[in-house]
Amino acid sequence: MAKNPLDKGKSNEKLLAERQQRLNDALQLEQPDRVPLFMPAGYLLAEYGGVTHAEQHHDFDTAQELLEEFALDFEPDSVLGLFNNPGPSLVLGDRMTKWPGKQLPENGSFQFDEHEFMKAEDYDDFLDDPSDWAIRTYLPRAFEKLDGFKFLPPFIMWCFGHYHLGNLPMYAAPPVQESLEALGNAIQVALKDAAHIGESTERMAALGFPPTFLAGALIEAPFDFMSDTLRGMRGIMLDIMRCPEKLLAAEQKALKYQLDFALSFCQATGLKRAFIPLHRGSDGFMSLEQFERFYWPQLKEMMVTLTEHDIMPICFYEGVWDQRLEYLADLPKGKTAGWFQRSDIFKVKDVVGDTMCIIGGMKNSLLKNGTVEKVRARTKELCERVGEGGGFIMSTGVGEMEGSDLELVRTWAEAAREFGAY
Amino acid sequence: MSDQLIKYVANMQEKEALALTKELLEAGVPPMEVLDDCRAAMDLVGKRFEKQEYFIPELILAGEILKSITAEVRPYIEGEEEAADAIPVVVGTVEGDIHDIGKDVVVFMLDINGFEVHDLGVDVPPQVFVDKVEETAASVVALSGFLTLSFDSMKETVEAIEAAGLRDGVRIMVGGGAVDEGVSEYAAADAYGGDAMAAVSLAKKWTGGNERG
Repeated sequence: MAKNPLDKGKSNEKLLAERQQRLNDALQLEQPDRVPLFMPAGYLLAEYGGVTHAEQHHDFDTAQELLEEFALDFEPDSVLGLFNNPGPSLVLGDRMTKWPGKQLPENGSFQFDEHEFMKAEDYDDFLDDPSDWAIRTYLPRAFEKLDGFKFLPPFIMWCFGHYHLGNLPMYAAPPVQESLEALGNAIQVALKDAAHIGESTERMAALGFPPTFLAGALIEAPFDFMSDTLRGMRGIMLDIMRCPEKLLAAEQKALKYQLDFALSFCQATGLKRAFIPLHRGSDGFMSLEQFERFYWPQLKEMMVTLTEHDIMPICFYEGVWDQRLEYLADLPKGKTAGWFQRSDIFKVKDVVGDTMCIIGGMKNSLLKNGTVEKVRARTKELCERVGEGGGFIMSTGVGEMEGSDLELVRTWAEAAREFGAY
Repeated sequence: MSDQLIKYVANMQEKEALALTKELLEAGVPPMEVLDDCRAAMDLVGKRFEKQEYFIPELILAGEILKSITAEVRPYIEGEEEAADAIPVVVGTVEGDIHDIGKDVVVFMLDINGFEVHDLGVDVPPQVFVDKVEETAASVVALSGFLTLSFDSMKETVEAIEAAGLRDGVRIMVGGGAVDEGVSEYAAADAYGGDAMAAVSLAKKWTGGNERG
């Protein structure tokens, strides 16, 4: 049962249906009954409940109870706790992530620690057989416990059928066995995480809150795929200058196999969305000329192909995209959505308001250090200008509300309902 | 002075630049002259970056070319020559945050604009900033952060500088990721810089320029 005046007396079933409808309308570029409010609460839940970040990560029941309390208290249309968990990473000795209570203090915040796991000289091997390279070269470098996979014979040998079976003792080498066992353990931990996600979704639905609209296949722009977990920032930027053709060829592999993954993932799960967090395409990293060659065509092809299969790509446009919004205006209308971190949100509305649902608008710094008046004024302006005609989901720019002032969050939620009505 | 070397480096012709460096050194050109050419080339790179002709790929490659040339030159140098008096600036990503991209670009731009940059790296505790300011007598501090948690780390760093009695002697800028004017206000810093050029102009404004530039 809701507390706020607009929803008072409605059953949880009705709230669930209305919230779902509100979000779907906005995503379809239509005008809902009011501007939907999305809160990516993240570590704010730990602060709200007086537990540590580490406890929030490692104790599902506590995290879930806090998510429920928070949702019932602030009544957003959509709410998100932590978006990832350390389980499988810790089992595998993942070298690219740092977690509270493990490599970080109890109240540290999850961080992605970029490495050059793929060297410039690896391009030829990667291009020659990316999947074999992934298993026998990448995994041992990226995950301490998968080091044994470097002793495996080339995977193409399986095409030798019966005659390769004589090589199976190679799989019995102790380091290989240890890695296989670690992988088996990680799978069990991941299954437990997946069961928690399922349980959380059901419990939230019972309270009137829809499953997160971001749920779907997680993939990356082909350029970011090559950058984030393979070449790293320094490496990828040098590749633009030193080996552009190899980078482009590698991006084609990243495009093809990620599409393959996303389509089969959506088929298997019934989910119809793909979440694509964008990292290196924003203003400032590369020139428009480089963007037109290395970033945009591959990303656009990815998005368009997804829409052709009725999958909605939702991109997180990290950083500022003010200089390249015109490219986005080319995307199929009403078939994609964009969550904008720091772009000029009013300019975004002007340029792509007819093309895609816009998510974002509230500055994290305002929720931390603003005043009731400033938060209300910003919310009102967002509802009036970005919300005009629909196609807008109000959210913070950053997908994390850690450090927000709870009273200002309350002000924001109330103002969004007050000014968001159409 | 080799205009050709300046041109090669500034135009990102890596192989040509390295070959010419070797040639010049073998022909007896003083190593410091080669390094001066590099500095001139880096100034050009910086200017092109400011004009948005160059971006991160060029900046990183320029850094790599400079590293390779320096390695070639090193055996020819007897004894270190001290750089001209430059104004010290302390830069770092605040505690709890390990993001370095924005910070590195700021370091590069401050450096080619003639500041003596003390780069403390990432995840820097407040006390380390305090110690470095004390040691270098820097009058400018630049705090970088990407995550929302950096808002509090920035505030704590400014407070630590204040508690050490150094606040009056320094101007503090903040920038990066989710940082904006509101964060500068929250952390009681002196200014927010939206990009590396803003960092350079703030540093110049606060110090009245620099020795080389």
